[in-house]
Amino acid sequence: MGDFLQYVELNSFLHRLDPRTKFVFFIIMSVLTSFVKSGVALLFLFLVFLAIWLIGRIGKYMLVLANKVKVLLLFIFLLWLVLGAFTINEGPTIYRAAFTIFSNHYVFSLDWFDFYKGAVYALRIFLMISAFYTVILTTNFSQIILGLQSWRVPYAVAFGVGLVFQIIPMIVQEFATIMEAQKSRGLEVDKCSAFAKMKNYVIISLPLLFRVLSKGHAISLAMHYYKLNFKVKRTSYKMIKATYSDALFASVTVIATVLTIILQINYYIQI
Amino acid sequence: MSFKIENVSYKYSADTPQILKNINMEIREAEVTAIVGPSGCGKSTLVSILSGVIPTLMNKGELSGSFQAGEEVMISVVSQTPENQLFGYGVEDALAFGVENMGLASDEIHERVESVLDLLHIQHLRKRAVSTLSGGQRQAVCIASVLAMRPNLVIMDEPVSSLDPQGKHLIQSVLNQLRATGQTTVIVDNNLDWFSGIVDHVVGIDNGEVVFDGSRDEFFAKFDVQHQLGVIIPQEVEIYRELSKRIKGLQPFSTLDEAYDALHDRFEKPEAAAALDPSEEHAENVLEVTDLSKSFQDGFQALNHIDAGFEKGKIISILGQNGSGKTTLVKHLNGLYRPTEGRVAYQGAETSDKSVAEISRDIILVFQHPEHMLFEENVYQELTFCARAQGVPFSEEEALSVLEKYDLLKDKEELPVNLSMGKKHLLTILSVLFSSANVIILDEPTLGMDLHLRNQLEGIIKHLKDKGKTVILISHEIPLVFKLSDELLVLDHASKLEEGSVQQLADNEALFEKIHIDLPPVVRLSKKLGFKTLACDAERFADAIAAGIKNDGFTGGASNG
Repeated sequence: MGDFLQYVELNSFLHRLDPRTKFVFFIIMSVLTSFVKSGVALLFLFLVFLAIWLIGRIGKYMLVLANKVKVLLLFIFLLWLVLGAFTINEGPTIYRAAFTIFSNHYVFSLDWFDFYKGAVYALRIFLMISAFYTVILTTNFSQIILGLQSWRVPYAVAFGVGLVFQIIPMIVQEFATIMEAQKSRGLEVDKCSAFAKMKNYVIISLPLLFRVLSKGHAISLAMHYYKLNFKVKRTSYKMIKATYSDALFASVTVIATVLTIILQINYYIQI
Repeated sequence: MSFKIENVSYKYSADTPQILKNINMEIREAEVTAIVGPSGCGKSTLVSILSGVIPTLMNKGELSGSFQAGEEVMISVVSQTPENQLFGYGVEDALAFGVENMGLASDEIHERVESVLDLLHIQHLRKRAVSTLSGGQRQAVCIASVLAMRPNLVIMDEPVSSLDPQGKHLIQSVLNQLRATGQTTVIVDNNLDWFSGIVDHVVGIDNGEVVFDGSRDEFFAKFDVQHQLGVIIPQEVEIYRELSKRIKGLQPFSTLDEAYDALHDRFEKPEAAAALDPSEEHAENVLEVTDLSKSFQDGFQALNHIDAGFEKGKIISILGQNGSGKTTLVKHLNGLYRPTEGRVAYQGAETSDKSVAEISRDIILVFQHPEHMLFEENVYQELTFCARAQGVPFSEEEALSVLEKYDLLKDKEELPVNLSMGKKHLLTILSVLFSSANVIILDEPTLGMDLHLRNQLEGIIKHLKDKGKTVILISHEIPLVFKLSDELLVLDHASKLEEGSVQQLADNEALFEKIHIDLPPVVRLSKKLGFKTLACDAERFADAIAAGIKNDGFTGGASNG
């Protein structure tokens, strides 16, 4: 599992940015990738992301992400490919055949456009996930809380969000340890059928549940020890402040957004 | 300020037994008070009452009596798992968390953060991420974060239970600093060994009642109370206890120097001890690792060309600080990790083509946190899990007799996670008795155990050895390691430093200095007294001394305790 789904300690341009700048990037990119369906525009956006990852020195972590979501992306690609094969599109065709099932007539038409459609949907999903992941990799949970607080998000909500990102790596680690512990005492999860494997994974979920409950209890006790009271106004040790780098990054985000929209308008093919 | 607890009784609900019964005690200002008692005696409930968790967060129980702590009094707790207590990514964030909650001005927060960093000498950690700290450093930051709130009383609940010797040393020095500043502190821990040097006052609780309230020295003199409470005492005191059974009129001692002064001119030196030389017969290796190396994906080298053999029917302990490669090595032995280079062979055959579950029929690893292992619906099922998973025949009668022997029969229908930490751990270890494995690896098996459970654990390990099984032990409890082990394997920074019998390696002081582990007091004392064969536990030491005692009329039992 390694560094998956958690902040990575580096001193890069992206890491030094004000968390609010990265939140804005995430919000804009999430909205943008929800609307943009042009392959050219998405490809351009992907290149912008690539440049950001390389400058932020998180390229190898994005490769890990790509590896983790490859099955999902392949599924999305194949889903749209198969759905597309039952509609007739303009353009070059790879294979076309008509057939009848229960007196209903169908045409199976595999076109190059179906591949394009599958690729566009897979790329959109990947960009959506990676916009979120870019923020997670480069913003620790303390910065997330500070950023949200400065946007006047109630502390209880900001703390809750931060806590989720503090706990996720712990749960991932717990799951891995429980799996190792159960294998060590004879639970077979390697050399067995898929059904047996699934059954054994369910078995593992029980100690995980107990561990998570126990951690939750320990954390609520700790909140009491530290006199955390959401009704009392808190003060802050650290302040966040936008810098020239934030202005630069925000400008790149805005320019990339505008160019993506222009490309979407000019190169959009109805899908 | 002092804190008085008067006639405090508590039960978790109307139909459950009384957990605390009429507790009366005083926590004195600027003193370190130890609260000791066996697993399940009510220590944790008392901490919950002192810290206000009961009744603020848990208000369904029945609490009576008084504990005078007003609104303005600040009481805070340091738990045994700092990773569950520290809020904040960086050390500074974590230190400031409690102070921020108090709504103090920014200048005041900065001043307090600086002062605790200075007080505990942890300035060098301030820019680090909490997740990158060692266990000891994390606990030190946890203590600092609590101190930044300037509490009137700090309660520490088993603060070193999961730390390696270096971590323990760090926390000992932190506590010394605190004591010097006059901080009123309560330490709840049944292991008095590590903090005996700083404790002023001991309160013993058994079955919900105070059974001892006195000074540390008074407690050390009460052998029967120590035994009743299952308290782990410093080995020097244990030596005195064993010797006083054999030698009349022995001057009490609780430090190594005092012990030397009391003993050095009263016995005929090494000759008497030579008769106790344990045999060092060599048996065949049941398990071998050859040229074993492991590098992880991020390039971290966890093991570096390790060669080691594990003999049949021996107890072998792996020693080293956290990060030395101990756990990585044992995870190779049972197939959880595959080597980057080298091989692991069980009875001459390589294990690389077997799954972990297949290997577990020969080599079984018991993890240090029992919650990672327990998932059956009751204690009986959990006990027999390994046998069922591995297809090993067993009789119900046999299983029930094991439960009875280890005082678990009354809990046989209980959900295992509801047992005390020590009993949960014992249960996971007992389940190994029903496995077919010939090599049993125990990773920190004493976690959460009081002296009674620890004695049972020692019995189980010796029983496994008597059955011809090989036991591989990883433990930071160095006196226990020396008491039980036949062989030691010493690792440091991913490499093997030494491998040999306990006697051979105990002579090599430079080795232990290099790995920053202190030899147990009994070993150091027998060296200082010039034993030819070093004694590795208090009983054997006392036998050697008693055998060589000068005929000066002092032999015969003492009347203490």
